[in-house]
Amino acid sequence: MNPASAAAAAGHGRLAKSTLLRPWAWRPSAGATPYFLLAPALLVLAGVLLYPLASLLALSFQHYGLRQLIAHSGEWVGLDNYATALRDGFFWKVVLRTAAFAAVNVALTMVVGTLIALLLERVHRPVRVLVTAGLVLVWATPVVVAVDLWQWMFDFEFGVINWLLTHIGFGDYIHHNWFANPLQGFAVITVVVVWGALPFVVITLSAGLSQVPRDLIEAAEVDGANPLYVFWFVVAPILRPVFVILATLSTIWDFKVFDQVWIMLNQRPAADYFLLGIYSFSESFRVTQYGLGAALAVILVVLLAGATSGYVRHYMGQLGEEAS
Amino acid sequence: MRFKTLPVALFGALLAVAGCSSSSNTPAQESGTLTVWLMNGSAPQSVVDGVNADFNAKHPNVKVDIQIQQWSDVTTKLDTAYAGSTPPDVVELGNTLVAKYAAAGALEDITGKKGSFEGSASWLQSLTESCTYGGKLYCVPYYAGSRAVIYRKDMFSAAGITNAPASIDELQTDGQKLMDANKSDSNFSALYFPGKYWYAAAPFVWDFGGDIATQSGGQWKGSLDSSQAQQGLTTLKGLVDKLSRADKTGDEAKQDQAFAQGHIAMIIANGWEVGQVIDPKVGDPSLKDKLGVFPIPSHTAGKTAPVFLGGSDLGISAKSKMQGLAQEWVKLLAGVKFQTQMATVGQVIPNNTTLLDLNANNPLLGTFATAAKNSRFVPNSPNWANVESANVLQDMLVTIFTGKQTIPAATSAASSQVAQILNAKS
Amino acid sequence: MSARELRRIGWDAVAVLFFLLMIFPIYWMVTTAFKPGRDILTLTPVWVPLRPTLDNFAGAIAQPFFWNDVLNSILIVSATVLVSVGLAFLAALAVARFRFRGRAAVLAMLIGIQMVPLSALVIPIFLFYDSLELVDTLLAVVLTYLAFVLPFMTWTLRGFIVNVPVEMEEQAMTDGCSRTGAFFRIVFPLVAPGLVATSVYAFIQAWNEYLIAYVLLRSGAHQTLTVWLASFTTSHGTDWGGLMAGATLTGLPVVVFFLALQRYIASGLTAGAVKG
Repeated sequence: MNPASAAAAAGHGRLAKSTLLRPWAWRPSAGATPYFLLAPALLVLAGVLLYPLASLLALSFQHYGLRQLIAHSGEWVGLDNYATALRDGFFWKVVLRTAAFAAVNVALTMVVGTLIALLLERVHRPVRVLVTAGLVLVWATPVVVAVDLWQWMFDFEFGVINWLLTHIGFGDYIHHNWFANPLQGFAVITVVVVWGALPFVVITLSAGLSQVPRDLIEAAEVDGANPLYVFWFVVAPILRPVFVILATLSTIWDFKVFDQVWIMLNQRPAADYFLLGIYSFSESFRVTQYGLGAALAVILVVLLAGATSGYVRHYMGQLGEEAS
Repeated sequence: MRFKTLPVALFGALLAVAGCSSSSNTPAQESGTLTVWLMNGSAPQSVVDGVNADFNAKHPNVKVDIQIQQWSDVTTKLDTAYAGSTPPDVVELGNTLVAKYAAAGALEDITGKKGSFEGSASWLQSLTESCTYGGKLYCVPYYAGSRAVIYRKDMFSAAGITNAPASIDELQTDGQKLMDANKSDSNFSALYFPGKYWYAAAPFVWDFGGDIATQSGGQWKGSLDSSQAQQGLTTLKGLVDKLSRADKTGDEAKQDQAFAQGHIAMIIANGWEVGQVIDPKVGDPSLKDKLGVFPIPSHTAGKTAPVFLGGSDLGISAKSKMQGLAQEWVKLLAGVKFQTQMATVGQVIPNNTTLLDLNANNPLLGTFATAAKNSRFVPNSPNWANVESANVLQDMLVTIFTGKQTIPAATSAASSQVAQILNAKS
Repeated sequence: MSARELRRIGWDAVAVLFFLLMIFPIYWMVTTAFKPGRDILTLTPVWVPLRPTLDNFAGAIAQPFFWNDVLNSILIVSATVLVSVGLAFLAALAVARFRFRGRAAVLAMLIGIQMVPLSALVIPIFLFYDSLELVDTLLAVVLTYLAFVLPFMTWTLRGFIVNVPVEMEEQAMTDGCSRTGAFFRIVFPLVAPGLVATSVYAFIQAWNEYLIAYVLLRSGAHQTLTVWLASFTTSHGTDWGGLMAGATLTGLPVVVFFLALQRYIASGLTAGAVKG
């Protein structure tokens, strides 16, 4: 199949093409209606978040320790907090670590998620329902409880994993400490994060896959294309918007990872385990330097916006296409 | 209501004498809610009920709202609470946290009222220290906990040991005997010592004459790198290397349940941990008669090592609008009647040296109370809480026990870090 | 059996293996809830509870304020889900069906808000409600949760609405329906699965949230189940059996809610997914 017919196929059967071009065509002069529709939601958002967000920004420009917090007034120090953070070698290590961690997690989540979604297409219906039910159970478990469970499974003495690995014959894992070495520790944390992220990704991708017209795929297979080709040239292009959204969301969520590290390490992570979210919280609530903690949070948002800017611009571009 | 005015007036006079501050609160106007934050598990329900009953007998129109708080992330909750406009009137604070909140202006200065608290003349020294900042008193000692060694008497006799060790040398030899007698058990520890267990390591440092930090002229200097401190840690490392199979990077949270599994002969533990070990839900009740307790031995024969005195204090919030009532309530809980119950029912160490012998006849608890008489505290600085948050001491121990750093290097680094944090402008 | 069938069974096996791996921690949680304390922290894992007991559940339910916390969680979540679905839907309509000034800004803001870490806003949010004297109220918690789920829900619902072709509404209008009539008869049913999907998201977020509930709610009578779970870790260590029993109990409503609506979820995500 050549790309041209693939493109034509993309238009086939998809109701949305005309909508894509003119979703609002029948209300060219909208008047005040959209504003009224938006008002309630915007009101809640502004009401609840405007003041705290502004406070956060203001905090980042102040020296705000516990005494200042109790007295409700801090000392203005301008950009000092930012300067302190940016000048600190430790800060950059944390940023790099966070970026690397997020990258690995997003990649794993998307790849494994796609593979599982593809797998689910090929199994019998009862098995598909079983796996979906399992994913739902995982999604429904509170993060705190889930991390407690995982921590316990990887426990030094009482952990099931150590026992299993030893008895299956992978070596002597009795009394193996998974968190002594940060690389190993982060591997464990990655398992936990991906495990928790898979349900949403798999379910969304499965739904997307079921939207791909069967006759397209069959036509390609009849033409002799192997499964890889079919996936890459037929399925993937159709799924691209979903991939982009999932990847963006995953990036945002994985950049902000906090609970998994915090709880896994008993609320006392060593410096080698600090991610940006942990660093910000720790500065605020452990060392009680709220100003510095706030500055770190702002930096996190800026970095995240930068990291996802590619996706966001693409998305906005898509919106722009819709305009023409 | 004329017949009420006399007792009411007397009552008012009493309150005035007791030094109740605030407003123009005449007793007749006394109403409202006194909010008290207690930590989960600190006071037995009967004690709390008793205090409330006595309090309400004197102040019938005041509702006491006891709100139980959890230890996890408690500083987050405390920070926000004190920052708000209506913090709880009375708060139970871990004794190592008090200096931080006192220095920040969260607690009411009750120096002038000290005499009005029953038993204050014989409060435990370390707890009182924890309540003192800048020469002023900011809270009232509540209860304490100290550590000693819980051991399996049956394992000791099986290994041929007749008496509990009375010195570190004896501890070493006895421990070795136990390890030899249990060679075939790959999970066995004669002395189970998790690497991050700072509170159990401190006695060794103090016993040899070392300390965490010392203050002179307003500046703190770390002293973990002193030769005495290093000697203590070297001795401890020797014990841990030979006698412990515990996680060198783990903490002591699960040690009671581990002990109950039956592969451990000794643990350094708090008084209430005895109850955990024989608890039917999480431990092994059959161990009840097999347990014994001996104080942490000193390297000098005949003496025992100084122990860290943990515990809690009761602080009254500076922003509280019910100062007088708050003090009344605290006086009750910190007074002789209920402290006695804390000791006998709660099985903790009461805040008063005269009550220390209450549990003396209890073979297990008595040793803990005696150990408390020889106790030390951490550097009393508002920044101490930050040292704890930064895990300086725990991380130092881990590098020592895992061999990642030598003792001189590890203690030197930790020392400077401690000094840096303690001296930081908050 | 054809080769195709055999291959399918092969895939079945792989899928089942995946299922077992995914579900193992949940299995561990539920079985632990039935084990007596001594069988929990053991050196050799106890795979199946040999001495099952309901003590952990009984103990968990007997904890003070358990039923209060159940009620509070239900109230908070119901309010959050109902209000958020309504508000998000209206907002999504505006953004999907209308072209107006500031649309791009609104969309950018919706994505941007999701980037802010919640833990960083804890103090400002607390002080905000403190100034309004709303600390220790369920209202404050609901408002905060609304603010946090609205961006994602609006964004997602927009995708669903965009998928419904304008022609269908136009057709209904030429057939004699009024604008709102066309809307409710045509668009709404098609978007319903999307509404269900996003409401499940809101449910899970609100039900399992910890930090805000912990900081804003103080008295025992006002707390939520998630905060209640933290009470199993006392100064004397963690009651693992109780915690697992509590966690199982806490997870049940979510699972029930999900199972009741799972038909819609798959199809709901379907309709909106590809177009995004």
